[in-house]
Amino acid sequence: MDTRTKEAVRYLGYGSHAIDDDTLALIGSSFEELERTASRRIIYRIFDVSFWGDTGLKIETLEIDSRDLRKNLNGCEKVIVLGATLGAEADLLLRRYALTDMARVVVLQACAAALLEEYLDRCQEELRQAQEEAGYYLRPRFSPGYGDFSIGHQGGILRMLDASKRIGLSMTDGNMLAPTKSVTAVIGLGRTKPSRCIEGCEGCGKRDCSYRRDKGVGE
Amino acid sequence: MIRDRLGKELLYFDGGMGTLLQSEGLKAGELPETWNLVHPDVIVDIHRQYYEAGSDIVLTNTFGANGLKFHDSRYDLKEIIDAAVANVRKAAVLGVHDNREVYAALDVGPTGKLLKPMGDLGFEEAYRTFREVVRYGEEAGADLIHIETMSDTYEVKAAVLAAKENTKLPVTVTMIFDGKGKLLTGGDVPSVVAMLEGLRVDALGINCGLGPEQMLPILKEIMEYASVPVIVKPNAGLPKQRDGEVYYDVEPDRFADTMEEILQMGACVIGGCCGTTPGHIRAMVNMAGRRKPKAAKPKTDTIVSSYGRAVILNQKPVIIGERINPTGKKKFRQALKEHDIDYILKEGVAQQDLGAHILDVNVGLPDIDETAMMQEAVTNLQSVTSLPLQIDTVDIGAMEAAMRIYNGKPMINSVNGKQESMDAVFPLVQKYGGTVVALTLDEDGIPQTALGRCRIAGRIIEEAARYGIEKKDIVVDVLAMTISSEPEGAKTTLEALKMVRETYGVCTVLGVSNISFGLPCRPVINANFYTMALLNGLSAGIINPSSEDMMRSYTSFCALMNYDKNCEEFIRRYGGQSGEVKAGTKASLTLKDAIEKGLKEEAHHAAAALLKTQEPLDIINQYLIPALDEVGKGFEKGSVFLPQLLMSADAAKIAFAVLKDSLADKGGEEQKKDKVILATVKGDIHDIGKNIVKVLLENYSFDVIDLGKDVLPETVSECAVRENVKLVGLSALMTTTVASMEDTIRLLRKNKPDCKVMVGGAVLNQEYADMIGADFYGKDAMQSVYYAQKIFAQDR
Repeated sequence: MDTRTKEAVRYLGYGSHAIDDDTLALIGSSFEELERTASRRIIYRIFDVSFWGDTGLKIETLEIDSRDLRKNLNGCEKVIVLGATLGAEADLLLRRYALTDMARVVVLQACAAALLEEYLDRCQEELRQAQEEAGYYLRPRFSPGYGDFSIGHQGGILRMLDASKRIGLSMTDGNMLAPTKSVTAVIGLGRTKPSRCIEGCEGCGKRDCSYRRDKGVGE
Repeated sequence: MIRDRLGKELLYFDGGMGTLLQSEGLKAGELPETWNLVHPDVIVDIHRQYYEAGSDIVLTNTFGANGLKFHDSRYDLKEIIDAAVANVRKAAVLGVHDNREVYAALDVGPTGKLLKPMGDLGFEEAYRTFREVVRYGEEAGADLIHIETMSDTYEVKAAVLAAKENTKLPVTVTMIFDGKGKLLTGGDVPSVVAMLEGLRVDALGINCGLGPEQMLPILKEIMEYASVPVIVKPNAGLPKQRDGEVYYDVEPDRFADTMEEILQMGACVIGGCCGTTPGHIRAMVNMAGRRKPKAAKPKTDTIVSSYGRAVILNQKPVIIGERINPTGKKKFRQALKEHDIDYILKEGVAQQDLGAHILDVNVGLPDIDETAMMQEAVTNLQSVTSLPLQIDTVDIGAMEAAMRIYNGKPMINSVNGKQESMDAVFPLVQKYGGTVVALTLDEDGIPQTALGRCRIAGRIIEEAARYGIEKKDIVVDVLAMTISSEPEGAKTTLEALKMVRETYGVCTVLGVSNISFGLPCRPVINANFYTMALLNGLSAGIINPSSEDMMRSYTSFCALMNYDKNCEEFIRRYGGQSGEVKAGTKASLTLKDAIEKGLKEEAHHAAAALLKTQEPLDIINQYLIPALDEVGKGFEKGSVFLPQLLMSADAAKIAFAVLKDSLADKGGEEQKKDKVILATVKGDIHDIGKNIVKVLLENYSFDVIDLGKDVLPETVSECAVRENVKLVGLSALMTTTVASMEDTIRLLRKNKPDCKVMVGGAVLNQEYADMIGADFYGKDAMQSVYYAQKIFAQDR
């Protein structure tokens, strides 16, 4: 099973259970359909970051109060601010199948999430190589909604990136990204290699989560 | 006047503004429009340099000046726009030294929000936002309105309508395409051109996103479809990144070289966008000078479009799906009366899957509000299919309402030769754009002869021209008459088809199946008549794409007449089949197995097989419900997972449909079902969880009233009161939208105290649910089913 399929299976809540063949086939065809229809787009910019107090930080014009993000960016001079999306067509697929085939919707949803993460990982790897040549090390990707980093900052991030014009990424009045299969994130750039770098799922404090990737390992 | 010069003289726009302001110290996230008041000297100086470089049209610094994007505690929108226009005027005085006539264009950019259904901005709200901007712009003295950098056809339609309805100024539009020639929202070149020309813009084109070289193939495509003057405003190359900063590196001379090519291809208004400077404009003006441009030639393609695609009627015959129409369909009428929008949507996507290219939409019933229903049907269909729609109604109010909110250039069904009909319909086509079906009948009825019908077609085309509607936007329907009552009917129709094509060169349309009313085995005769009609010049048959006979006629015709290159489509469809009509497949699994395994087709056959010996209600109670319970229990235990649960649910749904049809055929009354409202709360557009609950509740025979996503508390409360509903289910994804969940519960408590509320969603837990006053927290979809069963059991 390739990584993206494993991730999709995890998002579907299978945990450590074996997946049935029908669902596996559905995952395969969902990835195919998404590959055909989704248009992956990303935009990023690099800004200086400054800190104050225990929880305050400022990226260009954006002032953020977040202990968790502050901790994540500890020791960083600069940050990459990014936005990425699978585009409006992926949402159209989900709406279309919601009429007749909810099983496919649920699987498409999981596959879209896996596809977006895979895309971000790939972009981040390119960024890592470029930045390490310039003497900077990347911190784990951190998005609004993680810990106490409020999703109220989505608007500020989208404005700084001019994301609506550049990649068609905007948000609703409730600070939700639209199209729905989209991400914004901050990646810290520091001169020193972070000592302990556990990224994404494993880095989260919610150890009883049923979607956890390393479930069973630490138990 | 600029209107007189567009297309006749080569005119120059200005170049970039935002990128120049950044080099003057504008910060990311800062509102550039405030600089009109804070640093007017900087703004005037940039404008002046453009005029000095040779620009004829300079854009005001108002790209983001709209009520949704511009929020500043110091200045209001009107002040900003007044100052912006004044700055351009001042710059003209300082920068134009050769007395040439120059213009200040009000720059109108996107709102920065996505319109429904992709986002949460309503069409009319977008319209009102643009209306405010364009009114201020005209008051401030702008010479024209330039709407630019648009990536959504729906948003640009709102902006153009606002400009046209509220000002007298010329309106020009440029859109932003990606390297593949697509908008960010998926639209292609012909769909954009068709819609904008339908809306009667003064010029259209492309800006931003790409450099001049990358725009060449897109411009080529625009020139294939556009008849109005074309504008091209590229960036100074593709955006590049250095240290996370965006920059553009095509130098003025190279920029000008490519712009010369762009002029050769037929652009007649040129300028620059991001990264271009007065230097770029000067280089371009020096190279091209003042000359007569090669303007776009008038095109004759008959095009209808949606936001995502264009359908061209004069190239290859197309299929208009006829099934969204209550005539003669009991179930459809019932769905309309019960306001069952999903029923309509399913008919839509089913026809798309079967091969329809355009969907006819007719929702007329004597006792419903047709305008409201038509708008709702069009909006919802456009959220699940990108096929263009044919708005089919005799109610002019409903027609206009649908044309207004339609995303694209619709097909309109219909106008006829009666003066009254033309007086009503043509002004709408003139205003909103559209391709209109012209029925060849008039005050004296339907002529008996082909010549008579052809003459009416001629009169309609003539009258349309008075409104500026070209004959390419008229599709003639010579009317198919029932041969059982008019023996010569088919012959006359075929003759008229041919005559209309030969005389006027217009496209044609026909409701094909009318031909066979009153005859047995209708599909057979319909299919043969369809082939004959195609051979006589039918461009668009309004047919039932679920009729295999009709689809065979169509695909065969396309293969035989070389419309289907290498018979690819024919082989794709029929490859591996013998050509014999398949006999019904036998049920190989029991109903219980089919449902537990989630196999839809098998469930269908198994249910049909059981019906031969048992009553529908017995089948439901003895097989269906136990199978669902079994799967539900597995889900509880963790041996069945969500996708499997839903596959079973979908299979059960199919089986239910078979049983329901049988009940209806026997005239049996369906049991009165318990009503449950479901809604994803205001501000939230993630509705998958809600949809999962819906499928399962429907399986268990609840009547689900699905209010959709982003639903106002008032809507939920009003519906609960009106329908006297005992249980409401609400979903929310994020902490931010749990607040609207709480508001909804509060309102329900006040207006419908006996109504229970269950909640669910990623962010919720029991504690949260208690805090906002919900009666029940459903941690997964099955829990909601069990709770609903409990509530209604108590009731009895």
